[in-house]
Amino acid sequence: MVLNRLEKYWLTAVAVALGAYTAALIAGALVFGIHLPSPVGRIDPQKLDSTAFAQPGIHNIGGNRYEAYILAKMWAYDAGPDAGPVGAPPTLRFPVGSEVTFYVTSKDVIHGFYIEEHSLSLEVVPGQIARGTINFNRPGTFHIICHEFCGAGHQIMYGQIVIE
Amino acid sequence: MQATLNTTEPGKVTFPALDMLRSERNMIGAHIVMSLIALTFGIFMGPFQAFHRSPAFMASFAEFQIPVFSYYYQAVTVHGVMNALFFTTFFIIGFTYYVTQRSLQRAIKSVFLGWLGFGLMLVGLVLCVVTVSADPQDASVLYTFYPPLIAPPTYYIGLVLLIVGSWVATANVFITYLEWRKEHKGERSPLAVFATISNFIMWDIATIAVAIEVLGMLLPASLGLIKVTDPQLGRVLFWFFGHPLVYFWLVPAYISWYTMLPKQAGGKLFSDNLARVAFIMLLVFSIPVGVHHLFADPGVSEVSKFIQTILTLIVAVPSFMTAFNIGASLEYAGRQNGGKGLLGWIWKQKWNDPVVAAQLIAMLVFATGGMSGMINASAQLNIAVHNTSWVTGHFHTTLGTAVTLTFIGILYWLLPMIRGRKLFSTKAALWQVYSWGIGMTIFAASMGQAGLEGAPRRADLGNSPYLTDLAKNWLNLTAIGGAILLVSSILLFVNIIGTIFFSKQPVVEGAPIETRGNPNAPAILERWSFWIAVTVVLAIFAWGPVFVQAIDFNNGWNVLRYLPSGLQLK
Ligand code: HEM
Ligand SMILES: [Cu+2]
Ligand SMILES: [Cu+2]
Repeated sequence: MVLNRLEKYWLTAVAVALGAYTAALIAGALVFGIHLPSPVGRIDPQKLDSTAFAQPGIHNIGGNRYEAYILAKMWAYDAGPDAGPVGAPPTLRFPVGSEVTFYVTSKDVIHGFYIEEHSLSLEVVPGQIARGTINFNRPGTFHIICHEFCGAGHQIMYGQIVIE
Repeated sequence: MQATLNTTEPGKVTFPALDMLRSERNMIGAHIVMSLIALTFGIFMGPFQAFHRSPAFMASFAEFQIPVFSYYYQAVTVHGVMNALFFTTFFIIGFTYYVTQRSLQRAIKSVFLGWLGFGLMLVGLVLCVVTVSADPQDASVLYTFYPPLIAPPTYYIGLVLLIVGSWVATANVFITYLEWRKEHKGERSPLAVFATISNFIMWDIATIAVAIEVLGMLLPASLGLIKVTDPQLGRVLFWFFGHPLVYFWLVPAYISWYTMLPKQAGGKLFSDNLARVAFIMLLVFSIPVGVHHLFADPGVSEVSKFIQTILTLIVAVPSFMTAFNIGASLEYAGRQNGGKGLLGWIWKQKWNDPVVAAQLIAMLVFATGGMSGMINASAQLNIAVHNTSWVTGHFHTTLGTAVTLTFIGILYWLLPMIRGRKLFSTKAALWQVYSWGIGMTIFAASMGQAGLEGAPRRADLGNSPYLTDLAKNWLNLTAIGGAILLVSSILLFVNIIGTIFFSKQPVVEGAPIETRGNPNAPAILERWSFWIAVTVVLAIFAWGPVFVQAIDFNNGWNVLRYLPSGLQLK
């Protein structure tokens, strides 16, 4: 099979572009430490009582580091009593410069967990624990949005993160 | 005037150039008409969804309800299932039957299998529409039907019938092809048939996973035979199928671009061999990439996500090859038509022929879809856009325009053939094509921007409590795009109904069919058992670890099925 000259140039250009793209991906993962969600563990949604999700909420684990346990259900996030009344959209507060690791699971159907302007996007799949870490470096109010279809109330399922 | 069947020897048929045989008219016509009925259900929901998601629109018309399918997620379910599953599959099978028998110059092997497949899919369509109409609360689980949301059994039976019907149709095409091969030892099949065979092989392999998901998990749960599901496993099974599904739609559009458009544009195809290589690459690489739909999933390892990202880059290569090959063919055609200078050939395309214009606009929009697709494919950038309206914007440039507008372009010559009458209005067709291009560009771009501002997809956002002002503005713009698309859709159906019922002129142009394969094509490309083996091995390599991780070998499934109308959450 003979290739036309222009065709060769084109395929070379495509190969170079895709090579550069791959290099950027590898650099993103190794140099900048950008990570995708990866398996944390399974959990039985009927037996949450014996887990950290029995009492959702925020824990300071030293210095500027926090862990937040959040339970998603139709159609609200439960982030514990400190985040506001049960069933209402919760408000989570952290100081500027906090490093927060979110642990999220679902009690019923699949939900989403997306934080505005912060590249955190988790599928909250019942039976699985989803985890993601964010550094909040600037003050502001950012929505948590359920971005996976979860039934009739999907569009009103949200929360807030206030960085101050 | 009905052309009669003129049989010289078994399988050999003389086809009329400007007309269809009665057998073709019935079988192919039935598939195409059903695809248009599915499209009617699907397409008209689109603009109303866009209106419903626009805060300004809902502020002005607070009482606005989507016609017929008034619950928002019911409309989205109908839009997704009818457009993405039924319209595409019926159209592809009808088109493929025509292309196969005309290219091979022999009738499709089994009339019985043809009608069997059609009947199964038709019953499937009716079951899905009726279920979603009758029980919106339960059946609105969207076209991805992720467990543990569980719809009524008839919804899943409808989907299974669609898949089984399509298997029957692919078998029919395979046996026709194999018979042709037996009589044409050492010959290469025409490019369109070659592409079809590779596409159908891919489809049959990919649909196995979704059939397992529906028959092994969703339908039993819906019938109450089992009470538990595994949502992560369900998503893995779905996306094993979900990405090849995209190429199942795209390959018939490529068939038109590669084997018909050069002729319609007044030129010839630049390289048949490279086209074959591209189709083989699509067969081999479209399955082991589906994890790029699962980047945000907790139950899939980062290693698998990375491996399939790399493979995703490889599956982009045949599309880059296509861009070059078709670009070169169009340049040749433009120069034949008198185009001079570096870019003169662009203006000399047949921009006023709706069949050609539809495909040219489809390609232009597809170029933007390819670029946004590369962003989706990057594991890290994907996280910023996953499940936002960006994604919906992206696939309305690919599926909603590259594929759909190409199918519409095909329809503009195929429907007249089926009816035996000229297209009702060339003018309306041209307006339809260009308004689609403009409407979709506005719609897709503003959906993309809204997504970057945090607007989620699959959400009834008109009265949403959390949107930023910027996101609201972009969503309002999507409604303007939707309004233009509503006009375009009406023009399309005016022409369809006009051609079927009111057109009086006879057809003047023959079908753009190539009946001979390129004798110099490498023989290895048509050794299907070899490519099937490669495809299966690669699929196992890429997906094996994902399945092993997704299956809970210790405790089995433990997530209760959820029936939206409540109560049965036991
Ligand atoms: C008339 C032009 C169209 C308009 C205005 C339109 C509009 C929309 C809108 C607004 C959504 C988003 C719903 C949401 O996320 O809440 C959507 C989703 C979708 N559209 Fe279209 N659409 C059109 C044509 C098409 C066509 C021709 C196809 C395919 C052949 C298509 C396939 C889809 C699919 C698969 C979805 C995803 C549904 C889901 O997320 O479950 N659309 N469309
Ligand atoms: Cu939710
Ligand atoms: Cu949701």
